[in-house]
Amino acid sequence: MKKQFLFLGAIFLVALLVLAGCSGTEGVQTTESSSQANKSTSNNEQAEDKGVVNLYTSRHYDTDAELYKIFTEQTGIKVNVVQGKGDELMERLDREGANTEADVFMTADAGNLYRLKERGLLQAVESKTLAENIPEQLRDVDNQWFGLTKRARVIAYAKDRVSPSELSTYENLTDPKWKGRILVRSSSNIYNQSLLASFIELNGEEKAKEWAKGIVANMARNPKGGDTDQIKALVAGEGDIAIVNTYYYARLLNSSNPEDVKIAEKVGVFFPNQQTNGTHINISGVGVTRYAKNKENAVKFIEFLSSVQAQGQFAEGNNEYPVNPAVPPSDLLKSWGDFKAQDINLTILGVNNAQAIKIFNEVGWK
Amino acid sequence: MRLIQQLKLQLNIWAILSFLIILIILLPNLMIGLQVFSEPNENWQHIKDYLLKDYVYNTLVLILFTGIAASVIGTSLAWVISVYKFPLRNFLKWGLILPLAIPPYIGAYTYQGMLSYTGIIQSTLRNSFDIQLDQKYFDIMTMQGTVFIFTIFLFPYVYSITKSFLSNQSASFLENARLLGGSPLGIFFRVVLPISRAAIVAGASLVILEVLNDYGVVKYYGIQTLSTAIFQTWFGMGDLDSAFKLAGTLMSIVMIILVLEKILRGRKRYSYSTSKIRPIQPQPVKGVAAWLVFAYCFGIFSIAFLIPFIQLTFWMFMTFEKIISPEFTTLIMNSIFVSTTAASVIVLIALIVANYTRLQGGFIAKLFSKITVLGYSIPGAVIAIAIITLFLTIDRIIFSISASFNLTPVFVLSTSLLMLVSAYIIRFLALGYNSVEAGFEKIGNRFTEASRTLGVPITETFFKVDLPMMKGAIFSGFILVFVDILKELPLTLILQPFNFSTLATKAFQYANDEMVNEAALASMLIILISGACIFSFHKILDKEHD
Repeated sequence: MKKQFLFLGAIFLVALLVLAGCSGTEGVQTTESSSQANKSTSNNEQAEDKGVVNLYTSRHYDTDAELYKIFTEQTGIKVNVVQGKGDELMERLDREGANTEADVFMTADAGNLYRLKERGLLQAVESKTLAENIPEQLRDVDNQWFGLTKRARVIAYAKDRVSPSELSTYENLTDPKWKGRILVRSSSNIYNQSLLASFIELNGEEKAKEWAKGIVANMARNPKGGDTDQIKALVAGEGDIAIVNTYYYARLLNSSNPEDVKIAEKVGVFFPNQQTNGTHINISGVGVTRYAKNKENAVKFIEFLSSVQAQGQFAEGNNEYPVNPAVPPSDLLKSWGDFKAQDINLTILGVNNAQAIKIFNEVGWK
Repeated sequence: MRLIQQLKLQLNIWAILSFLIILIILLPNLMIGLQVFSEPNENWQHIKDYLLKDYVYNTLVLILFTGIAASVIGTSLAWVISVYKFPLRNFLKWGLILPLAIPPYIGAYTYQGMLSYTGIIQSTLRNSFDIQLDQKYFDIMTMQGTVFIFTIFLFPYVYSITKSFLSNQSASFLENARLLGGSPLGIFFRVVLPISRAAIVAGASLVILEVLNDYGVVKYYGIQTLSTAIFQTWFGMGDLDSAFKLAGTLMSIVMIILVLEKILRGRKRYSYSTSKIRPIQPQPVKGVAAWLVFAYCFGIFSIAFLIPFIQLTFWMFMTFEKIISPEFTTLIMNSIFVSTTAASVIVLIALIVANYTRLQGGFIAKLFSKITVLGYSIPGAVIAIAIITLFLTIDRIIFSISASFNLTPVFVLSTSLLMLVSAYIIRFLALGYNSVEAGFEKIGNRFTEASRTLGVPITETFFKVDLPMMKGAIFSGFILVFVDILKELPLTLILQPFNFSTLATKAFQYANDEMVNEAALASMLIILISGACIFSFHKILDKEHD
C-alpha cells in the first residue's frame, strides 16, 4: 500500500523533474547548434568562444539566420534567438524587467521601436560605426534604436486600367474619381497606422482625419487580408489601385509560384508625393535592451548588421532597401529608380501612433 | 482505528495535491479577474463608443452560426456512421476526425490561397478555359467564410463525442424504435436527437470555446471580434486595463455558455471512452441510398481534409528546395517533445483531481471541476502574460530566499520550458479533465467501494482497480490534448525559450510574412503527426471494442 503511494508520488516528481530538465535540454540544443557552428568554423580559423548575444526578433527570414552564423564565425559570439510577434515579445520583455535574458530586440516599424523606447525597454548606444553606417533620419534621436532596412509604402496600380499619369499624391486618393477603386488592409496593421501618423505630422490632425475619411469613402471593399491579398485583388479587378509596402510586390515578382509572377507583371508601382513632401518610408530596426547582460556583444552584433558586408544580404532577405548608403539595393529595386522620401525623423511615427489609431476608429476604417 | 488513520493520511494526499493544482490554475485567473474591476480609463470610453458593440455582435454571430453548423454536420455524420454500413465506412469512421489535425489558421490561409486570383481554381479557369469570373464568387474572407472555416475544422469535436455515445449507448433505443416500425428519419428526429442531446451540446461547447479563443483566422479574414479587440487594445494601444476588461467580457460570455451547457445537458452526461455496454450493430444500406450516404460523408471529408491536404502537398513540393533544412528535424523533435510532456502531465493532473472530486463529492468537488475549465475561456496570449508575471514573482521569492542563505540565485524559472508547459496545463486541462471525468463516470464508484470495503486503501485501489478500467479514457484524453498542443499558437509564440521553435511557430512565421506556400512544409508535418496519432487512437479503441 505504501509502495503504490510512493509510486504515485514518484510519478509526480518525475514529471516535475522532466519539466525542470527542460531547461537542461535547452543546453543540449545550444550545444548541438554550437557544435554545428564549430564545424563550420573549423574550416576557417577556429574562432574562440566569446559568449553569447540573446535576440528577440519579429523578423523570420531564413537569410537572417545565415547572417547570424557568419557573425558567430567571425566573432565567436553565439546568437540565441526567440522569434515571435513584435508586440507580444515587447510585452514579454516588459514583464521580464531586469530579469530578462534578451540583449537585442529586433522588430519592424518605427512605431514599434518608439513604443519600446517609451516603455523604457531600450538603452542608448554610443557607436561611431552605427553613426556612420545609418543616416540620422533612420535612427532614434537619443540613439536607442537603429534602422537596418528601409521599405516604402507605395501605390500599386493595375496597368490595364490605370495610367501612372492619373496618380500623384496620397492626398489625391480621396478624390471622388477613385470611388470604389481603392484596396487597402485593416487599420489594425501598424503600416497603415504609421502612414497616418506621418500625415498627422506633415498635414496636421484635421487634414489627416479628412484623408482617412476620404479613403474609407473610396474603398473598393472592407479591409481584409494582407498586402499581398490587396495586390491579388487588384489584378482580379476588385479595385484599381492598392496601398502596399514595396517588398510584398517584389516578393510576388520573385515568387516560386509562376501564377504569382504573372500577376505581379500586370501591376505597376508608383511612388507618390514626388513633387511634394515625398513617399512614406519606414524601417525594420534594432535596439539594445535596457537590462542587457551582454551589452558589448549586442553592440558588436548591431554594428555587424549595419556593415557593408551584411547590409546587402540582410535587406535582400525581405526585398528591402539597405539603410547603409554605401550599399546599393538589389537590381530589382534599382530598376524602380530613386525616389524622394518623407523628410521626417521616424520617431514621429511612434509619437503619433495612438492618435492615428483613434482617428481610424472614429472614421470607421475597419 | 488504524484504518481510519490511514484513510485520513491517504485522503489528505489526494486532497493536498488537488488543492495545489487548483491553486496554480486559479492564480493567473485571479490576476485577470482582479483587473476587470479597475477604474475605466478614457480609452475604455473610446472603445465603448466606437467598437464594443461591433465586437460583441460579431463574436456572438460567429459562435452562434459555427455552433449550429458544426452540430448539424457533426451529429448527422455521427448518426450515419454509427447505424449504417456503406462503402468506405471503416475508413471514414476515423477519417472524419482528421480535420482536427489541421490548425484552423492554416486552413484559413490554405482556402484563401486556393480561391484567390492566383489560386488553383481561378488559374485553371483562366489558363485552360479562358473564363474570368466575378471575384465575389471566390470571396471567402467574410463572416460566412469564417463560419465555414471554423465549422469544417472543428466539427469533429461534435462528431467524435456524439459518435462514441451513439455506438456505445443507443443500441437498445434504436432497436426498439425499429421494432415499433419507425422510419429512419423519424427515428433520427424522435429518438437519436433527444437521447444524444448531451453529447451534441458538449461537443458544440468545445467548438465554441475554440472559436472564442482563435486569433489567427479572424485577424486574417478581417472579422473584428472580442479576441482581436483584446490584442488591438493591449498590444496596439498598450492599454492593459481595457484589454483585461475585454477579456473579462469574453470570460463572462464563456461562463454563460458553460451554464447554458449545463442546463441543456439536463441530468444526462455523455461519455467519451469505450464501455462494455453492447455496441450498436450497423445495418447495411443498399443501392442509391448507400451512395447518397457515402457521397455526403466523403464530400465533407474532402472539403474538411482531403482538399486542403492535397493543396498543401502541392505547395510543399513547389517550395521544398527553398525551405528544407536540417532545422526541421529539430522542429519536429521540439514539437513532439513539448506536446508529449505537457499532455502527460495534464492527464496525470486530471486523474488526481478527478479522482479526488469523485471520492470527495459535495460542493468543493463541484467547484474544483469547474475551475479546471477556466483556462479554456481565456485567450492564450493573456494566459501567457499572466504566467510570465507569476513566474517572475516566484523568481523573486527564490532570489530573496537564496540571498538570505548567501547562495547565488538561479533564475531557473524565467525562460525555461517550465513556463510554457505550465501555460499549456492551464489552457488545456479542461480537455484532458473532461475525458478523464467521463471515464470515471462510466466505471462508477461500485468497484472502488467494493475494494475499499475489503480494506484496500484509496491509492492502492486507484492503481489496482480504477486505473486498468480507465485506459481508454486516459488515452483519448492524452491524444486530444496532444493534438491541440501540437497546433497551439499564441502561448507557444510568446513563451518559447531561446532557440526553441516548433512546427506551429514555424508555419505561422511563414504565413504571417504572407508566404503561404512556404508555410506548407511545417503545416504538413503537423498534420501528419496529428493524423498518425488519431489513427493509432482509433485502432486502440477498436481493439478495446473487440
